[in-house]
Amino acid sequence: MSLIRFEQVSKTLGGRPVLRGLNLTIEKGETFVLLGASGSGKSVTLKHMVRLLTPDQGRVWIGEDCVSEARGRELERIRRRFGYLFQNAALLQWMTVEENVALPLLEKTTMAEAEALAEARRRLAVLGLEDAAQKYPADLSGGMQKRVGLARAIVMNPEIILYDEPTSGLDPVTSRTIDRLIEDLRQRLGVTSVVVTHDLHSALAIATRIGVIHEGRIVEIAPPKEFVRSRHPIVQDFLEAQYITRRGAWEETKSS
Amino acid sequence: MITREPDYFEPPLNPFGQFGRKILLNCRGAGRALLLLGEAILLARYVFSRRNRHETLYQMFVTGIKSLGVITVVGMFTGMILALQTGLELRRFGQEVNIGTAVTVSLVREMGPFMTALIIAASVGSAIAAQLGTMVVSDEIAALEVMSINPVRMLVMPRLVALAVMMPILTVYTNVIGVVGGALVGWTQLGVSMRAYFDNAIQYVENKDLYVGLFKSFVFGIVINTVACHQGFAASEGAVGVGQATRRTVIISFLTILVLGYMITRFFYV
Repeated sequence: MSLIRFEQVSKTLGGRPVLRGLNLTIEKGETFVLLGASGSGKSVTLKHMVRLLTPDQGRVWIGEDCVSEARGRELERIRRRFGYLFQNAALLQWMTVEENVALPLLEKTTMAEAEALAEARRRLAVLGLEDAAQKYPADLSGGMQKRVGLARAIVMNPEIILYDEPTSGLDPVTSRTIDRLIEDLRQRLGVTSVVVTHDLHSALAIATRIGVIHEGRIVEIAPPKEFVRSRHPIVQDFLEAQYITRRGAWEETKSS
Repeated sequence: MITREPDYFEPPLNPFGQFGRKILLNCRGAGRALLLLGEAILLARYVFSRRNRHETLYQMFVTGIKSLGVITVVGMFTGMILALQTGLELRRFGQEVNIGTAVTVSLVREMGPFMTALIIAASVGSAIAAQLGTMVVSDEIAALEVMSINPVRMLVMPRLVALAVMMPILTVYTNVIGVVGGALVGWTQLGVSMRAYFDNAIQYVENKDLYVGLFKSFVFGIVINTVACHQGFAASEGAVGVGQATRRTVIISFLTILVLGYMITRFFYV
């Protein structure tokens, strides 16, 4: 059975239809990358998975649980399966970086404070942020804040991680570090990832499948190698806009 | 869930529709604020838990200690103005010695709780709304909910307890400072000795005056927190939305404090 399933999900926000009968299935252990133009409904799709938004029509399933109808403790149980990296990191500004990362451990486990902070520092070190542990989020650059957000998203070892633009605003070297981490989580721990991004190079590097959303519907889903050969005009526009052509330039770029 | 989808309504057909919609939205807002208060009261049993204890003490510090400066000045001048205004009138009848009673009863029954509440609503209430509003528009509240951390338990309840505890204490402080301010004016401007002033002040103040005044300030503390947290959580549309939430917090708190102050006085004294 698929891990995440959207059944005919429609959503209107601010009087504008954002999702129009969206159907989507994501399997366990996949890294599914969702591409689309700004305002096409990528982040809205992600928010439906953790019930930050509720569909006007249709249902969203997480395994055997219908998250779009879950409430109270059931919703809390479903949400515990997720880690979520927000677009702007969404760190609590009055807490230090290590306190932010340790927060889920302190609130949701019986771990002692010193132990939780040590675990937070260990996670930060993996992302090259060991020197920032005692700083406040406002003292960090946008890219560093995003990496702290990532450390917080993975600290509880969730089954599914949702990434909203994980590499936007990051330098290419750090972006590839994040890509490697996502890939490592999938290979080592079997984590299922859903990544919303505009960075097609990153998508081609990490995805097991890439989906393109356009006007509230999925218009193409394919593994990376098939994706770059897609004849769909929206996909073509994406590839050309990021200087990746159907003739195999991407493979050449990868092999060099 | 605290995280809500933004409201969207088709433009109303006529001014009556617009007016009716405003009334309905205000009723919905009041209902949501009361539900928020109810949830915070139910969660108050966690106030002594490890993380809430620290946050509650910090909020008490912010509400109490950080407000002492402005409360001292306002309390002192409230007492001085009351003493001067009543003293000048009473002197026409040779009764200026009674300013002790006038100042103390006015302060303990009404002016102390009222002035303290206005200061706390404008300083602490607006700060709470701005902080929570900023957290909403920057997805911090959504992040807490995804982590299954209840924002009401983490943010609202400690502030509720802090305000409910600190408001009566600050009111007692305002009363004391105001009475001292009145005594200084009586002594320097009206020729009433300190001893006569304080004897007069204590003689006519009843325990009931003190209890009702403190009950008012307790209620005002709860009102300020509830309005501020609800408005903060309802903020949307970035910095403009946070500004509007802060403005509405001060206005709604002031109006509610005035109306409830009258109703409590009427209930206990009429």
